[in-house]
Amino acid sequence: MLRHLFTLIWNRKRANLLLISEVFFSFVVLFGVGAVLITVGKNYLAPQGFESTQVWRLLVRAQQGQKMPRAELDDVLRQVKALPGVQTVALTSGNLPFTFNTNNSDFTYKGRTTPFANTYDADDHYAEALRLHLREGRWFRPADDGTHHRPVVISEDMRQYLFGDEPALGKIFTYNIPGKVTKPEDEFQVVGVVDNVRMESDFSAAIPSVWKRLIPYDTTHWETAAVLVRVAPGQGGVLQEKIARTVAGVTRQWSTEVRVMEDDRQHRRLFTLVPVVGLCLMGLFLIINVALGLFGVLWYNISQRRAEIGLRRAMGATGAGIGWQFLGEMMVVTTFGVVLGGLLAAQFPLLHAFDLPVQPYLLAIAAAAGAVYLITALCAWQPSRLAAAIQPAVALREE
Amino acid sequence: MENLLANSPEARTSPVAPLNGAAPVLRLTNIEKVYQTKTIETVALNQVTLTINRGEFVSIMGPSGCGKSTLLSLMGLLDEPTSGTIEVDGRPVTAYTDKELANLRNLKIGFVFQSYHLINDLSVVDNVEVPLLYRKGMSGKERRQRALQALDKVGLSARTAHFPGQLSGGQRQRVAIARALAGGPEIILADEPTGNLDSVMGEEIMDLLLDLNRRDGVTVVMVTHDEQQALKTERVIRFFDGSQVS
Repeated sequence: MLRHLFTLIWNRKRANLLLISEVFFSFVVLFGVGAVLITVGKNYLAPQGFESTQVWRLLVRAQQGQKMPRAELDDVLRQVKALPGVQTVALTSGNLPFTFNTNNSDFTYKGRTTPFANTYDADDHYAEALRLHLREGRWFRPADDGTHHRPVVISEDMRQYLFGDEPALGKIFTYNIPGKVTKPEDEFQVVGVVDNVRMESDFSAAIPSVWKRLIPYDTTHWETAAVLVRVAPGQGGVLQEKIARTVAGVTRQWSTEVRVMEDDRQHRRLFTLVPVVGLCLMGLFLIINVALGLFGVLWYNISQRRAEIGLRRAMGATGAGIGWQFLGEMMVVTTFGVVLGGLLAAQFPLLHAFDLPVQPYLLAIAAAAGAVYLITALCAWQPSRLAAAIQPAVALREE
Repeated sequence: MENLLANSPEARTSPVAPLNGAAPVLRLTNIEKVYQTKTIETVALNQVTLTINRGEFVSIMGPSGCGKSTLLSLMGLLDEPTSGTIEVDGRPVTAYTDKELANLRNLKIGFVFQSYHLINDLSVVDNVEVPLLYRKGMSGKERRQRALQALDKVGLSARTAHFPGQLSGGQRQRVAIARALAGGPEIILADEPTGNLDSVMGEEIMDLLLDLNRRDGVTVVMVTHDEQQALKTERVIRFFDGSQVS
């Protein structure tokens, strides 16, 4: 019977072209939406790699054109840390989690190069403030002051890019600047490896990361200091005010801004959710339109094929058999559309489009195929039942 | 002598008498068929009782609207009578389920229609295979073989890959007969099989049906308006206004 259905659909390919096109476009739309949703969902479910709850970000800005003396900045950090309710204070670069600031570079080690990796400046308390999880080695410590190469901690994915499965600790890598002599300060020695981190948003993928130890007593670039403050549970506006007053107590020349990292996280979440929800809604409306179209075409199809239905009943088909045949025909038409759509969709993983791994694409192809089959089956169900209920004697007499 | 008896006017107009002691293959007893709408009740068949014996060639005649096609639908188990019983091979089919009736139609009955009812998007051989698709356990190879044999029998071996639209009316009706034959039915129910054909092609089809009846012993029940063709059959049953008149 299946062969018969394929023959029938193939011989009616012109008449079925519109249906096949509708199925094809539905598949492509569902594949696109599915790939986005699966990627976003998979990222969301992956470990963040750090803890942002009870972390605030404190931005201290010197007046325009002025720099902060490091000694004064250290004094501010010491006083803030001494406040009741503050657990840790860590000085870092401006690319804090869930903000729109990024610093990135590519690196190389013995001919291996990495994709662009996020780079962060971090002091000895950074890991404690964000509760990064060390996999190997250690975080920075005061003893690193005397090291010849700049100590760095890298994420696990960065380690894979640079060293594969080889040990990473103690190895030295550099910026990837072909043809340029590397300066000593641009040589980085790995002292630790931490879990992958997703610092852009809840829905972003992990990005290879490098934390460079802040050069002690550096006074060259402190126009703005970004500080991570881990506070005890239950702290709020009162402590924020105290922190602002503490900074003002050291110098009135600097301005301060204290924000809760969870607020940044929520804010950043919207930037992904809004377009994704929009895309889903557009996809949904499109699918509803396609479903209504399919329903109408099938309905018309059955009314045009009443004589054939009567004939098949006369030849030995049961009413249920006729219903299943029409459902089967729709599944065959769907198969043609899905195969065409699948061929197009398969190009994405083959070409590594958008630098996404293969798995979400394969899952999206499977999900889109499943959804298209389900939609067409639902659309074909009622017309097929109608076909099954047609009385053969009446259908044959109408001709 | 038997043939002479079979073609005698008495034999041709006898509604129930079994011929030559043959077993009845179809028996209709006190059949009534009423079509009912909200406002009108139409009696299509009124207390019809008749027997079709194995190997007979029976024609049914009567004016338009007298219930001939309704009778053929009932004989073909495509419709249910309002009252009365239908027996196939001596077994009443009134209580049969849709599935059992479909199976019986598939195994025992072949249909030939005035307007051929071929599926235009299927080739000739695929059309002939249609009844065999509903036969359980039959392989694709066997289906094809039986379809080709049936087409050979109606002289259309050279047209198997053609589509109905590429054939003449007579050839289309031959395909329809091949389709009816493919399943090896005991009974062929033909509803005005020559109605859409010119006289030459009509004769060809009639000869084919007669040949099938005489050579292969297939029981044929044919609805016709053509008196000449009816006279070639063993028995003529006449209807008027839903009732059997002879």
